[in-house]
Amino acid sequence: MARKTDAPPVNITINGIDLQVPKGELIVESVKRLGLEIPIFCYHPRMKPVGMCRMCLVEVGMKQPDGSVRKMPKPQAACTLPASEGLVIFTDTEQIHKDRKGVLEFLLINHPLDCPICDRGGECPLQNNTLFYGPSTSRFVEMKRHAVKAYPLSKHVTLDLERCIQCGRCVRFTEEISGDAQLAFRHRGAEMQPVTFELEEFTSKFSGNTIEICPVGALTSSHYRFRARPWDLETAPGICTMCSNGCNVWFDRRKGKLVRINGRTNEAVNEEWTCDKGKFGTDWMNNPRRASDVKVRRGDGFSRADWAEAYAEILERFREGGHEVAGLAGPMLSNEDLYLLRRMFDETFGSSNLDHRMTSVQGPAVEPPSFTIEGLEDEKGAFVFGASLSDESPIVYLRLRKAWYRQGARICVATSRPDDADAFAAVSVRYPQGGEAEFLRSLVAELRVQLEGGRSFGELADLASTLLETRGPILATESLWNLDQAGEVLAQLRLAAELLGVSLNVMALGANGQGAEELGVRPDAFDRTGLGTRQILEACADGRIRALWLAGVDPFEAFPDRSLVQRALENVEYLVVQTALETEAAAYASVVLPITAPGESDGSFTNVERRVQAFEKAVDPPAEAKPAWRVFSELMVRAEPRTPHFSAREILAEIAREVPAFQGVEWSAARDGGVLLGARRPLSRARS
Amino acid sequence: MAIDVIRDVAKPILAGFGITGRRLKHPKVTVQYPEQTREQYPRTRWRHFLTRYESGLERCIGCSLCAGACPARCIYVEAAENTDQERYSPGERYAKRYEINMIRCIFCGYCQEACPTGAIVLRKNFELADYKRESFVYTKEMLLEEYPGQADEPYVSIYQRQS
Repeated sequence: MARKTDAPPVNITINGIDLQVPKGELIVESVKRLGLEIPIFCYHPRMKPVGMCRMCLVEVGMKQPDGSVRKMPKPQAACTLPASEGLVIFTDTEQIHKDRKGVLEFLLINHPLDCPICDRGGECPLQNNTLFYGPSTSRFVEMKRHAVKAYPLSKHVTLDLERCIQCGRCVRFTEEISGDAQLAFRHRGAEMQPVTFELEEFTSKFSGNTIEICPVGALTSSHYRFRARPWDLETAPGICTMCSNGCNVWFDRRKGKLVRINGRTNEAVNEEWTCDKGKFGTDWMNNPRRASDVKVRRGDGFSRADWAEAYAEILERFREGGHEVAGLAGPMLSNEDLYLLRRMFDETFGSSNLDHRMTSVQGPAVEPPSFTIEGLEDEKGAFVFGASLSDESPIVYLRLRKAWYRQGARICVATSRPDDADAFAAVSVRYPQGGEAEFLRSLVAELRVQLEGGRSFGELADLASTLLETRGPILATESLWNLDQAGEVLAQLRLAAELLGVSLNVMALGANGQGAEELGVRPDAFDRTGLGTRQILEACADGRIRALWLAGVDPFEAFPDRSLVQRALENVEYLVVQTALETEAAAYASVVLPITAPGESDGSFTNVERRVQAFEKAVDPPAEAKPAWRVFSELMVRAEPRTPHFSAREILAEIAREVPAFQGVEWSAARDGGVLLGARRPLSRARS
Repeated sequence: MAIDVIRDVAKPILAGFGITGRRLKHPKVTVQYPEQTREQYPRTRWRHFLTRYESGLERCIGCSLCAGACPARCIYVEAAENTDQERYSPGERYAKRYEINMIRCIFCGYCQEACPTGAIVLRKNFELADYKRESFVYTKEMLLEEYPGQADEPYVSIYQRQS
C-alpha cells in the first residue's frame, strides 16, 4: 500500500487537523501521516484489509453544509474505511477509549495469558495494545476456551491454538503473499482455528513469515522455541546468504550465539519477507563442525600452526606461481574478499586461474541482469526459463507473484519440471530434460512467425503470443550452464530477447555470485586469459596445476562432477582450504585456514539485481577465524611490503575507486538500503 | 588561655562516667556473633531460593522475567521444554539452567516481585561469604535447596493473592 497512487487528493480531518490524502486511502494509513497510531491486529499494510479484529475502531463524521459535524452513530473500523471528501475522523475520544477496552476485553476472554512461557511475550502486539489501550483487570471468571497447545504444524512452525485471536493474518499471508494457500480457518466462532487442510504438514516455502506477522504467540518458531526472551537478545542488521536475493535480516543473538533470524524491511529488496531457507538456516553459525584452528599437514595428520607459519608455507608454493597455481572462490565471500582475492592472484601469484562459477561448464561472460526486484512489480509480464524461482530466487518469485496478484501481470514459465510458479502463470510449458535448446529453437521460430504476422497453431503459439503482448524480462539462472547445450541455450535466449526487445537476465545463485562477476573473479575478466573451474580441476587432476586455493568453497558440494573433484584434490600437490566448516575438501588440505562465517565480519554483497548491500559484524567469530580479505591482505603484505588493509570499509572505498562498475558506492549508503550498480562496462572483450 | 582543671577536665570526665554508669542498668543489645545470632526481621531479603509445589514439581517455569527485572543483571535463565518422560514443572516450559551471581546481586527483591509463579523467594540466610568468586554463582541445584521453615510457610504469588 506504500506505493504511489495517482488517485485525486481529498480533504479529510483527523482529530481536528485538516489534511489531504489520496482518495481511497485507508484511514488506518492516513492516520500514520500525522504520526498518530491506531492499534491494530488483523490489518497488515501489505495485505488486503478484512476488518476481523475490530481493534482499529474510530469515530467517523461528515461535514455538513453548515460547517457542523454529524457523527455516525457507531464507530467504524479504520482499516476498511477509505478516505473520501469531507470525512471527519476522531481517534482519541472517550467513546473510542471505551470501545478499545471492550474489544480487548473480548479478545482476552479466550486468550490463555500464558505470557511468561510464550515466545512472543515481550514483543507481542496483544501485550502492547492491552498495556496501552486495554482494561487493567479482567471481569471474566468463567472457564476459558481450551485447545491444542504446541501443535507442530511443520518442522519450523509450532501452533498454539489457545493463543490465537483469529485475526487471519497467517491465512491471508498464504493466500495473498506466498500463494500456496496452505492455511485456512476451520470451525466457527470461538472455536475458529487457522490450520492446514486436513492437518497436513505446513510445507510452504515462506512459512516463517507467518510467525513474524502473527500478532500473538499462536504461531511460533520451533527452532527458537524457549531459547530466549526478547529482552535477552542483542540484535544486529545483516544480509542473508542463502541465495543471491540478498534479503535484509536481523540477526538476533543471545550470549553471542545466533538464536533466530527475522526479516528486516527493505522495500526495494525483500519488503519484509524472508524465505524459510534464510530464516531457519542458522546452522552455519552454530555448527559444531566449525573450523576454528589454523592447521598444517604434517605427514598423515594435521598439526596446529600459527598464521605466520601457514603464510610462509603458502607463499613458498604460490608466489609467482603463474600458470601452476589456481584458485576457486565461494559464493559467500564478500565483495571485499573477492576483490582482494583477485588482486592477490593478479599481483602476488601472477595467475589468472581464478574462478567462482561452480556450474558444469564455464562459458563466456553474459550481460549483467538489468531488472530490479522492485521493478518486477510494474512489469506486464515476465518469462521464467528453466528456473524454479521459489527455490532458487524466492524473493524474485514473491515479486512476480505480487505483480500477477496486484496488476494481473502475465507470467510465462518454461521448465522441465512442474514448478510453484505454475499456480499463477498465464502460460506454463514443459519441455523434456535435455530438450532445452530444441524447445528454445522452436520458440524463436514461433516468435518469428508471429512477428511477421503469421498465425500458427503450434504448441508454443500461446506462449509466443503472450510473450509478444507482455514483453517482460526474460529470467533465467546461471544453472543453465549445467545443461548439455548451454551455449546453444544461451544463444537462443539472446535471440528471443532480441526478437522481443526485452532484457535477458541470467541470475547468479550464490549470495555474492553477482559480486564475483562484477569484480572479475573469473579467468577471462579484464582481458586476462586463464582457466575456468572445470579446466582448473582437470589441470589439477593431471598435475599441470601444482597448488590450488579453495577460498570458502567445497567443490564436493558445489561442483556437479564429484569424481573430477576427487581426482583433482587427490592429485594436486598443495591445497589451501579456507573454510568456515570442516568440509569434505578440508580433509585433502595441506593448510586449513579458518574464515569467519557470514555475519561474523563486516563486508558487502552484491545481490542478483546488482545491489551492493553492506553488513556489519553481528556475532563474534571463533577465536582464530579471520575474514578472508584479511588473510589475502596479510599475504600480499608478506610477499611485498605495502600498506595493509585494515577494514572492509576501506576496501569497499578502494573498490569504488578501482572497479568501474562500483563507482560511487559508499559504505553508509550500501548499509542503509543498498546501492544499485550503474551501467557496467564489458569485462571481457573476447565475448563470443 | 589558662585551663581550669576542675571545670575543663575533671567535671567532663566524671559526667562521662556517669552516663556509662547509668547505662549499665539497661539491657545489653550487643550480640556475640557468630556464637549468637539475632532474629531477623520478617521481611528481610537475603539468599534466594527456588521453591516447589507440594507435588514436588518446581514452581519455576524458566520465563526469565526475574532476569528481565533484575537491575544488576545477575540472573541467567536457560529454558527448555518439559516432556512427559522428564517433567520438572507443570506446563510446557522449565528452567534448564538457573544461575544467580551473588556478587552482583543487590538483594532488591525485584526478581521475587516479577515472578509469576512465586518460584523465587529471598529468605533470611545472610551468611553468604566464601573464598572463591566462582562459588558465588549459585546454580539451580543450590537454589532448590529447602530453606529452614519452608514447610510452615506456603508461599503465595501476588497473582494468587489477588483472586
